[in-house]
Amino acid sequence: MTDLSKLYKQTILEHNRNPRNYGRPDHWTHHSEGLNAICGDLVHVYLTIEGDVISAINYDGESCAISMASASMMTEFIKGRAVDDALSKFELFCQLMAKGSDIQRIDALEDVNNLITVKKFPSRIKSATLCWHAMAAAIKGQPTATTE
Amino acid sequence: MLNKQFHRDQFPGLHQEVNGKPLVYLDNAATAQRPQMVLDAINDYYINHNANIHRGVHSLSESATDLYENARKSLAKLLNAPSEKDLIFVRGCTEAVNLVAQTFVRSRVSKGDEILISHLEHHSNIVPWQLLCEQTGAVLKVIPMNDAGELCVDQLDDLLTEKTKFMSVVHVSNALGTINPVKEVVTKAHAKGVPVMLDGAQATPHLKVDVQDLDCDFYTVSGHKMYGPTGSGVLFGKAEHLNAMPPYHGGGEMISKVTFESTVYNAVPAKFEAGTPNIAGGIGLGAAAEFMMSIGMENIEQRDAELRVYAEQALAKVPGLRMLGTAKHKSPVFSFNIEGIHAHDIGTIIDHHGVAVRTGHHCTMPIFEYFGVAGSCRASFAFYNTEQDVDILVESLLKAIEMFK
Repeated sequence: MTDLSKLYKQTILEHNRNPRNYGRPDHWTHHSEGLNAICGDLVHVYLTIEGDVISAINYDGESCAISMASASMMTEFIKGRAVDDALSKFELFCQLMAKGSDIQRIDALEDVNNLITVKKFPSRIKSATLCWHAMAAAIKGQPTATTE
Repeated sequence: MLNKQFHRDQFPGLHQEVNGKPLVYLDNAATAQRPQMVLDAINDYYINHNANIHRGVHSLSESATDLYENARKSLAKLLNAPSEKDLIFVRGCTEAVNLVAQTFVRSRVSKGDEILISHLEHHSNIVPWQLLCEQTGAVLKVIPMNDAGELCVDQLDDLLTEKTKFMSVVHVSNALGTINPVKEVVTKAHAKGVPVMLDGAQATPHLKVDVQDLDCDFYTVSGHKMYGPTGSGVLFGKAEHLNAMPPYHGGGEMISKVTFESTVYNAVPAKFEAGTPNIAGGIGLGAAAEFMMSIGMENIEQRDAELRVYAEQALAKVPGLRMLGTAKHKSPVFSFNIEGIHAHDIGTIIDHHGVAVRTGHHCTMPIFEYFGVAGSCRASFAFYNTEQDVDILVESLLKAIEMFK
């Protein structure tokens, strides 16, 4: 199977067809908008934080399949985690996806590692990281986020 | 006469493999490939004539100056400018627009005056005017477009008022390919006494441009879109304007005498060319102009028309494809979306088949806001593209659709 097929067929298209936690919820406590000005990708991330736990996380927006699938996977992975834990996982995800790094897997990221093929398409890495930046920004109370 | 295979063979960049497939280069509106003649001209300068221009008395400096000034003559011929002195070398259209905004228009507008552009503009023909409006209190007005992506010229008479002090309009849209009726636009503006600049970035690679026939006050040319080097371009201005305008940048070459008390500026065009210019770039751009004239712009126009018709028919058969920009007069630029697949995904998938297109908003966000989409896939052709390129584009799009099924 080619890298391209791997990238699209295995994980991305499944999440793209059946997005988890998609859509703007009725209530949330934290929100941020992630925007990639160059490509025009837009993702909104909505969090409900109770105490220090993220009890709900949703997303919507308009972007490519990689960006949408990454957001879908992220919401599944982050839901129910403590705020500090979510932020440390964000740091790990940034390390995993860093352009030029040879890290192929970070066990603590569990199924999120399935996005690793994106690294073979460097121009698309920002598509995968946008929602994570938006999630971290929402926790920090920043209304907007970019991958720049 | 355009010899398809011969002229294609002049472009070494076209003959390579990308991702294991022969390159199908359809991103010409972003930047074109360069013919051997342009590459040779640049090399020849650096190897055989490398010297600074306009100042040395030594032989190399003289021959470098001759090459640079001959390039200016070639561009004047391509644009049918009255004199090569009416052409200023710039880095590209963006710099040309900023130059005109700051040295010609700024002193002519005050609070409440209006500057007119169109809905089809590239950001580089929007933002310099917004900056000028912030500086002066002038107001930016926009000529609308219709659903086909054509300029609503019928609204021009109402939009041109006694407050309108300048108009800047794109000749050919980079995002949609629309060829605007710029001669008519200039005539209408001049009837109200309004000077006009035309953004020719996407026009000179495709159309025979005659600045005297158009009667425009300014015309901008981007070198790298017309097979020349990046960072090269020219601004045409009517001599009466250029002579009256103050310099844009201060520095070397643009002066004739400097004391600590005052400076006497050099004559046009040197007045606007401060500092050592992009000498190799100018020479390469002159070679590009000669190359295009050797093919003949009418031959390029004819080949464009053939490719446009062939591609229009082929793309119409792709299921779920929505074409943005269906102007009657357009260059072979196709902006489209495919139902259910984001443009970036299409771009990545077809790149895997060797097909290079642009995806996104193409620096024309207002156009995509009009169509209610964030961006598009854009396949933009040059005369060296082939019917086979169209076929491979369509095949790769069908594969993308299959993958997303």
